[in-house]
Amino acid sequence: MVDLAFLLVTFFMLTTKFRPDEPVSVDQPSSVSDIPLPEKGVILLTIDKDGRVFFNVDGQQKRIEILENLADQFKISFDEKEKKRFSVLASVGMPMNQMKDYLAADEEGRKKMNLATKGIPIDSTDNQLANWVNAARRMAPMFHIAVKGDMDADIPTIKRVISILQDNKANRFALITNLEGAPGEEKPSVK
Amino acid sequence: MSEVQQQGGQESGKHKKLRAKKTSTHIDMTPMVDLAFLLLTFFILTTTFSKPKTMDITMPVKEHTEEEKTKVKASLAMSVLLTENDRIIWYFGQDDPTKPPETNLADFSLDGPKSIHKVLLDKNKLVYDQLKQVDDSVKRGLIVDQEDTIKRHKALVKQAEKNGIIVLIKPDDKAKYKNLVDILDEMLICGVGRYAIVDLSESEKELIKNAQ
Repeated sequence: MVDLAFLLVTFFMLTTKFRPDEPVSVDQPSSVSDIPLPEKGVILLTIDKDGRVFFNVDGQQKRIEILENLADQFKISFDEKEKKRFSVLASVGMPMNQMKDYLAADEEGRKKMNLATKGIPIDSTDNQLANWVNAARRMAPMFHIAVKGDMDADIPTIKRVISILQDNKANRFALITNLEGAPGEEKPSVK
Repeated sequence: MSEVQQQGGQESGKHKKLRAKKTSTHIDMTPMVDLAFLLLTFFILTTTFSKPKTMDITMPVKEHTEEEKTKVKASLAMSVLLTENDRIIWYFGQDDPTKPPETNLADFSLDGPKSIHKVLLDKNKLVYDQLKQVDDSVKRGLIVDQEDTIKRHKALVKQAEKNGIIVLIKPDDKAKYKNLVDILDEMLICGVGRYAIVDLSESEKELIKNAQ
């Protein structure tokens, strides 16, 4: 029994992945679709219930490349330390002008900034999400794009995000949902 | 657990020493086992096995001129307008400002009198019955019972049927993202192969207003 216990401990230790804290919690809607999200190579756009947009991509090297590309687009520069910091963070929802402060802040400071932020700007006058998507598409063209929206996110924001994706020639993407049983498939309710 | 056996005092000194050596090789393992189980519970509780699921959608390339837009047959086009409080307004045919189409109200319930699920199943019977046939053939062993094979067959059925309905999903600004996902989900359940997310026109905004 003890052997078994240790076997299980090893198993769980090896399969557990610790991921950094997500700055937003999102209550995603459920669907009957059962296509799993790929484990690697995902560009994730999170939209929370207040319509704030956050951006995330996996792979530390890719994150650094994307940040460098963005730095070029916005004519700001990040030093090695800031890039390193960015590569290990989770989703970011900061306008570019606050990015440096965000990276310089400590854990507590970042939490506060995440609460206060309005997300990545998406209005047509200051469309920074387009820059993000553009940078990500350029540096990681093979990555899948996934949109994780909150149940109560409003339609104009969702439409705007989809339209930004379309502008960047990202016409195929996935919506992240929870799995629920299919009512119509197993026992059709029509007679 | 280690135990030291008590010996009677009668034995000789030589004997006593030998016995003591033998028993001291046992180690008390209780704390280690405790720790092992503690770790086990910790990892069991922190692990999540459920991978997030996704719903694939493909949007058309943005068209720049009127001519590039795909035209759909008016008789097959079903417009589904989503609006606040989880309500649905649907109609068939073209959206013509001079001759407003007859609209119907619906909701997201599965079984209710106004269930959009029933409406879609009814309108899409042509395709849905064929999809059911695929399921039947799987049961009878005509099609290999493999998930991707079944999916491929179903996709073929959906593509081949040119007279199936085309659903135009038009979410209102007051609708929620949840409604959009629900209706996309309903497309999947009812086997609607051709659907698109479209913007509302001015006359349809009027329709929504009038329906309230």
